[in-house]
Amino acid sequence: MMVIVVENAPPRLRGRLSLWLAEVRAGVYVGVYSRRVRERIWEEVGQMIGEGNAVMTWAAPTDSGFAFAAIGANRREPVDIDGLTLVKFRPPTDPDAPPF
Amino acid sequence: MAEAPYVPLRPIPLKERSAILFLEYGQLDVLDGAFVLVDQNGTRMQIPVGGLACLMLEPGTRVSHAAVVLCARVGCLLVWVGEAGVRLYAAGQPGGARADLLLFQARNALDEGARLNVVREMFRRRFGEEPPERRSVDQLRGMEGARVRATYQLLAQRHGVTWKARRYDQEDWTGGDLPNRCLSAANACLYGLCEAAILAAGYAPAIGFLHRGKPQSFVYDVADLYKFDTVVPAAFQVAARILKGKGGQEPPERQVRIACRDLFRRTGLLERVIPDIAAILAAGGLAPPEDAPEAADPAIPPEEGSGDDGHRG
Repeated sequence: MMVIVVENAPPRLRGRLSLWLAEVRAGVYVGVYSRRVRERIWEEVGQMIGEGNAVMTWAAPTDSGFAFAAIGANRREPVDIDGLTLVKFRPPTDPDAPPF
Repeated sequence: MAEAPYVPLRPIPLKERSAILFLEYGQLDVLDGAFVLVDQNGTRMQIPVGGLACLMLEPGTRVSHAAVVLCARVGCLLVWVGEAGVRLYAAGQPGGARADLLLFQARNALDEGARLNVVREMFRRRFGEEPPERRSVDQLRGMEGARVRATYQLLAQRHGVTWKARRYDQEDWTGGDLPNRCLSAANACLYGLCEAAILAAGYAPAIGFLHRGKPQSFVYDVADLYKFDTVVPAAFQVAARILKGKGGQEPPERQVRIACRDLFRRTGLLERVIPDIAAILAAGGLAPPEDAPEAADPAIPPEEGSGDDGHRG
């Protein structure tokens, strides 16, 4: 099982992703593929993402049961805490922006 | 922003895909690189063609050039079928994308000894026992027919369906009895899938071993390997449910397709088809053809494919 979420992605990347995965909400793609195919899809996301950003999670035999990777600038950043990956959330650069 | 790089589209292996999707009524097109079915109201449905083995297009569909190109690139077979998928009109990829595999298949079919070996291997795989010695292909075919009739009877009994004989009339679809109609619909699913696998791997659907002389002879050969483990039980199960009045409102063909799809997934059919084809051809006992000494390498070397051997990508 894998999920990709894209933000501010060019339309042709979104179209490309829909060739392999189901777009269940705007920018949210779900599917089931092997590691090899998953890495290939992710490589294409990296090549086509432009100024947007993307995150992918997939079922993995880790402690949390999944793993994830991100591309592009986003306020959320993965941090590794003793082997468990958590998400760090940087404060907004714009003070008027909502806190999430 | 710099011009984004061109990222080529490459097919993924057949074994990782979902099986089959039937589409009707709508215009198949490409929007922003996505494969969509647009219906009369302008509703768009994105179809993950790259993750499908084949798309069955029923009456009422129109396909744009761009959509066909995209399907070819991602290695999804387009199959044009009649209503309920009972007739097959055309398939969107010519067979024999790999000359070496095609020649190997043809050599096995032309050599009577090799052909008999292949037919015996198919017999072995289907019935789980050694075929009797010193029988010709025609004799084996006769034995197969008798066994198939008995298997129909047995499976029908097991699922509680009254079964007379396999009988269907292509001209009169609704004339057949319910188990036969379910069976026809289920077979159509299996044939589409087997044809997709044969074409994806680069073989020719017309060069059969037990079946001969039809455009899909090899498809029938390959489908017969799986028929009694997959679609026949699925069809009888659905027929029994409907005859008991527990079938729901959906048309029988649709229920059969859903049952088949589940069964294909559960039995891992797509992972098996291409290796099984290679195995039954290898049972012929002939060596695969070698490159002719004068053969030249292609002027433009092919990129390394990521899908199956015959995908054009």
